[in-house]
Amino acid sequence: MAIIEVNNLHKKFNQLHVLKGITTRIEQNEVVVVIGPSGSGKSTFLRCLNFLEIPTSGEIIFEGSVINPNENLNLIRREMGMVFQRFNLFPHMKVIDNITLAPKLVRNIQPDIAVEQGLNLLEKVNLSDKAESFPEQLSGGQQQRVAIARALAMRPKVMLFDEPTSALDPEMIGEVLDVMKSLANEGMTMIVVTHEMGFAREVSDRVIFMDDGLLIEENTPDELFNNPQHPRTQAFLSKIL
Amino acid sequence: MDFRWDLVISSVPLLLQGAWLTIKLTTIAVFFGIILGTLAALLRLTKGPFRYLASIYVDFMRGTPLLVQIFIIYYGIPSITGGQISPSIVDIWPFIAAVIALSINSGAYVAEIVRAGIQAVEKGQSEAALSLGLTPAETMRHIILPQAFRHIVPPLGNEFIALLKDSSLVSAIALEELVRKGQIIVGRTFRPFEVYFVVAILYLIMTVTISRIVSILERRLRVGE
Repeated sequence: MAIIEVNNLHKKFNQLHVLKGITTRIEQNEVVVVIGPSGSGKSTFLRCLNFLEIPTSGEIIFEGSVINPNENLNLIRREMGMVFQRFNLFPHMKVIDNITLAPKLVRNIQPDIAVEQGLNLLEKVNLSDKAESFPEQLSGGQQQRVAIARALAMRPKVMLFDEPTSALDPEMIGEVLDVMKSLANEGMTMIVVTHEMGFAREVSDRVIFMDDGLLIEENTPDELFNNPQHPRTQAFLSKIL
Repeated sequence: MDFRWDLVISSVPLLLQGAWLTIKLTTIAVFFGIILGTLAALLRLTKGPFRYLASIYVDFMRGTPLLVQIFIIYYGIPSITGGQISPSIVDIWPFIAAVIALSINSGAYVAEIVRAGIQAVEKGQSEAALSLGLTPAETMRHIILPQAFRHIVPPLGNEFIALLKDSSLVSAIALEELVRKGQIIVGRTFRPFEVYFVVAILYLIMTVTISRIVSILERRLRVGE
């Protein structure tokens, strides 16, 4: 069974028609990379999946049931981790508190257990020594790895990545991609909006190419990168590869 | 020049009593003002019909003179409750009326301060919190308000100072705060210059103290930024 199904998803911001009918499905354990030119609607698509943007029409089906925006969206969102381009760590909290806040508050995990799990996650992203730091004391790459640990602390069923390396200095991109790779290898279901074609080729099971609010083409990375079918995909790839 | 230092010195004890009442009034009013103002600010940020109520409140309080508001409470409330107030509170009615008037007035200004503070918190902060499954209320409480608080402290200090000075208006309802005490002494001595000079100095000491406290608080809050 698909973990997420997207049916004819439309999103308009006033007059601006950003998503013009997206239909796709994400399988359990699948790593899907979404690529496309700026303004193609990739990020909006991702943000519609956990209803940070409320779709104008169409449906998102999560684990078999249609998400209703009038229900308690927090019940859905806690199952989907999200990593943002700008990290969005909570600046008034130490790293460990950033990570343990939601498990304690939302999952009612005991504080000492939450801390223990948080420290394990920090070890996983190679930041064991930063638990007591404040976000501003960390580099961009470190902040993004904390953000990944924070999302993982909720034990989500899906991880959404919204251009996780776009705001990073080049030398820090690798450390974040490495964490994402190991996550993919562990079988995490991931949807990644990115410009990192190397990551897409190497890690993803499927690549979706979007342009102008439409899903133009989707295929295995091998097929999509080496043998793109649609002229728009070919044009895009010829510009960036 | 004829400046009576002896009067300056002899007026101080009585004026200090008045200053103490001014501090009490202002502190209580700011306390309730913060509560009212935060509620009004949160209401203004909701989507329901209550936000208009909050807007009307803020506009009315900021758009009418405090002195008129004090009169409405002090004279107005007894007049619509049958011309009298309960004998048990008649003695402290000026104080209660002053606290009510100053609180609801201050609440309107605090509402704008809190609203600006909340809106100054980056949108990504609430998105991150919501994406972790926090409810909007939890997001406000644990993520937005603590960060907004840092933006709020300096203007809140200014509001405290402004209210401390504006509280002199309650002298008009015979409440013996600092200015009223001064008027009383002037009435006895006919020496307005010396007396109001001391009054001014006492206000200055209070306002400078407040701004010092606020800047210390500000420095403490800068952790992790």
